[in-house]
Amino acid sequence: MMQVTLLVNGEERRLSAEPLTPLLDVLRDTLHLTGAKPVCREGFCGACMVLLDGAPAVACLTPVALADGRSVETVEGLGTAETPSPVQRALEEHEAVQCGMCFPGMVVTLTHLTRPGNCAPTRDAVKAGLVGNLCRCTGYERIVDAALAVMEDGR
Amino acid sequence: MSLSAETAVRNFRRRDARDKLTGRTRYTIDRGHFGMLHAALLRSPVPSGRIVRLDIEAAARMPGVRAIVTSADAPGRAGIGIADHPLFASNVVRYRGEPIAAVAAETEAEARAALAAIGLAIEPLPAVLDMAAALAEDAPLVHPDWRDHAVLHAGGARGGNVAWEATVERGDVEAAFARRDVTLVETSLRVPRQNHVPFEPRAVVARFEDGRFHIETSTQVPWTVRNATAALLGVPAAAIRVTVPPVGGGFGLKFDWALEPFAALLARRAGRPVRLVNSREEEMQTCLFRENAEIRIRSAVTADGAVAGREAVVLMDCGAYGGEQVFLTTMTAHTLGGNYRLGAVRIVSRAVYTNTAPNGAFRACNGVYNTFALERHTDEIAAATGIAPETFRRQNVVGDGDLGATGQVFEGDVLGPMLDRMRALRDKTPVATPQDGRLWGRATTVGTWFVFTGPSAATVNMNADGSATLVTSGVEIGSGSMQQALPQIVAATLGLQPEDVVVRAADTDAAGYDVGVGGGRTTVSLGAASRAAAIEVRTRLLKVAGDMLEAAAEDLVMADGRIEIAGARGSGLTIAEVAAHAQARYGPVSGTGSFAAAGTPAMAGCCAGHFIEALDIPVFAVHDCDLAVDPGTGHVEVLAYRVVQDVGRALNPPAIFGQIQGGVVQGLGYALHEEADVGPDGGIRQASFETYRLPLAGDVVPVAIDLYEGAPSLGPLGTKGAGEVPILNVGATIACAVARATGGRVCELPLTPPRVLALLSGEAPPPAFPHIAERHADNLLPSAPRQGGGG
Repeated sequence: MMQVTLLVNGEERRLSAEPLTPLLDVLRDTLHLTGAKPVCREGFCGACMVLLDGAPAVACLTPVALADGRSVETVEGLGTAETPSPVQRALEEHEAVQCGMCFPGMVVTLTHLTRPGNCAPTRDAVKAGLVGNLCRCTGYERIVDAALAVMEDGR
Repeated sequence: MSLSAETAVRNFRRRDARDKLTGRTRYTIDRGHFGMLHAALLRSPVPSGRIVRLDIEAAARMPGVRAIVTSADAPGRAGIGIADHPLFASNVVRYRGEPIAAVAAETEAEARAALAAIGLAIEPLPAVLDMAAALAEDAPLVHPDWRDHAVLHAGGARGGNVAWEATVERGDVEAAFARRDVTLVETSLRVPRQNHVPFEPRAVVARFEDGRFHIETSTQVPWTVRNATAALLGVPAAAIRVTVPPVGGGFGLKFDWALEPFAALLARRAGRPVRLVNSREEEMQTCLFRENAEIRIRSAVTADGAVAGREAVVLMDCGAYGGEQVFLTTMTAHTLGGNYRLGAVRIVSRAVYTNTAPNGAFRACNGVYNTFALERHTDEIAAATGIAPETFRRQNVVGDGDLGATGQVFEGDVLGPMLDRMRALRDKTPVATPQDGRLWGRATTVGTWFVFTGPSAATVNMNADGSATLVTSGVEIGSGSMQQALPQIVAATLGLQPEDVVVRAADTDAAGYDVGVGGGRTTVSLGAASRAAAIEVRTRLLKVAGDMLEAAAEDLVMADGRIEIAGARGSGLTIAEVAAHAQARYGPVSGTGSFAAAGTPAMAGCCAGHFIEALDIPVFAVHDCDLAVDPGTGHVEVLAYRVVQDVGRALNPPAIFGQIQGGVVQGLGYALHEEADVGPDGGIRQASFETYRLPLAGDVVPVAIDLYEGAPSLGPLGTKGAGEVPILNVGATIACAVARATGGRVCELPLTPPRVLALLSGEAPPPAFPHIAERHADNLLPSAPRQGGGG
């Protein structure tokens, strides 16, 4: 076991864990942040995506030891029911959500992609940016529409 | 007074989106309880064998272990049509991955460690891993005791490794094939398994309290879980309560019981809540896949393009237990036997036992591959007769008064006008043909599907604050029907806004029986029950309002949250005022409603072994695509995809568009790259997302959609189910377009680059099925009831 300090959604959290424990399990089982979803647990689906020092990372393949001393932003930290983020609001307005399991990861990735300079505001570029985020319900197009709308507003 | 269906139609957003987007939704996998234990299953490492030793004593002494259960604890069997499925393997194992024991411990790691300490010895037995092996002469039987299984639905022929056989026979097919003026066309086709891959795996949390089980589970069918768990455990069904949190995707996978009985048993044994969740690997290995199937279809066609006779053999791999495939043999008559006018027809559809993981239901089950088979066959008929495929279809699709395969009489001209609408949609959405050396192909196909009607119940409680509470056993699986169509129907009936209708999550202790959420039935069956319940509330409120306003109830209108005297706006009261008055004076106002299948008739004597002989609500679809095939790599790019879908009445068009986009993309996966198959060890070879290729954002195009409204429907306000059918003819459409682009005979899906390259180089012979006999009659069990040549 090692002592780990994480800056989770802006709050310092200290805990002890086996160093190879997936960050995903620490978030869900220890910190009860169940937004990030364990779906494939192999880094293909992106449903557990978090921002690690601001960059998207799959929490299932991130050992907690590698997150020690770093900032971890989960979907819970990006917006709330009362104050959804622009990405969350756009996905809601574009009626993109179906079962919802992929969306915590989608929101995290799109939060990164829609920040200035990270992705060209074109359909092809957004689709390329979503290569690590799978969705089984929606067929993607509304998610792309929502991302482009956020980029448009941000200009 | 008359209910205006138009008021039900709106773009009403789903209320669960924000929680899902902010990560606050708690699916079953996110649930926990004080003192909760974690469970794991010991699964068979071999596909067939005899259990010679099962010793749990050492495992029971392992750290943290609180309960272990085995077949001794679950005496019953469950099934659809045949009760052939025990909870645990007892004497023999029939597939790799079959549960043998279940352990609950303080942590999941302790539960898994205990599994390793269970003493298990299995003496391997010969296994049949595919349908050719299962149907071979002297094949080992998956169920040597098949005669002893209780039959739950009479009429199907059974025998050996044939779990169920359904037959159709209408008219004299022999005579049609013997005519001198017909051309004979034969096509053989094969499809592999498709995994649903709902992102939430099958998951359950069970408790045992005050002598009853409370099961929280990720399911589409709370009442099936209740009743099957009771049958398997040998307890009264009334001792089981099932509640359903938001479900993270189902697509049919969760249209059957799964992990619930294991968790229930362990919770009772341990006296603690028990959580059991499939790992992704378990999920991939034991998915109730869309079944692999093998199809031979033959037609006798006249020179002017009429199908004088058709015969078909459809083999469906049900895996080690009959499950849904027993029922789905029924659908061949309506899918492979659908779409077109037929002279004489005979079809046999068989569910075949193999020593592989059981298959199940998947969105437009059976229909997806039978539509692929029928539409490819139709293109081959068109080629053989020299008629353009579009002309052949326009000429032959079923219309008003035409007979279906089972002798059902169809109402209304639907498919013909839909084909015309597709031509217009194509004209509106042209694409440039590739100029880069790639081969261009296009196709238009038709498909016939249905709404799985069946019983539903609903209660509407009218609250004194002017809101209504809708109580049903309906589950929100992601499609939005429970969030949109149902409150819209109740609100339109009561003159409320959909926002004013609270929708109770499924709870078998609170609401009456329901078949489940699937088969496109939510808006139709639960919608009809909900509407009936709302009409009862409406009738009561109008009577009370009539007394309060000193007016006849017939003269009142209910709209915009008010009850008014017709033509005198502002004369009346708010619905809240009337509800509060009614509550104080007579007690709270509520209404109940129920719905059951209409039981549309088939022609007498046309079919045997069918669970549904005719379709209460047929649903039609016309799909069209343009695609480009790279002759160097075999890669297929979809350039444009178009759908004209028969929806009856569209209550919430944006919600339907979302279902069509998503359903088409699942179909593109099936058509182009999703494939699961069984390896020599009896296991599914695609055990993770690394080897099972799901569609990505970059694979898809925005689907051009035209909703066809106004076709006859028994559904409330003229609705039909719209969420299941979008996947129906995607495989067919892509296959026909690739066949035209390459000039090859497309007889298998998915069209992966190696398959497409083989088509281009002429190295893709059509599949040969030695286990499908040349003569149709030789593909029937000797015990199958024979029908007369009526019709």
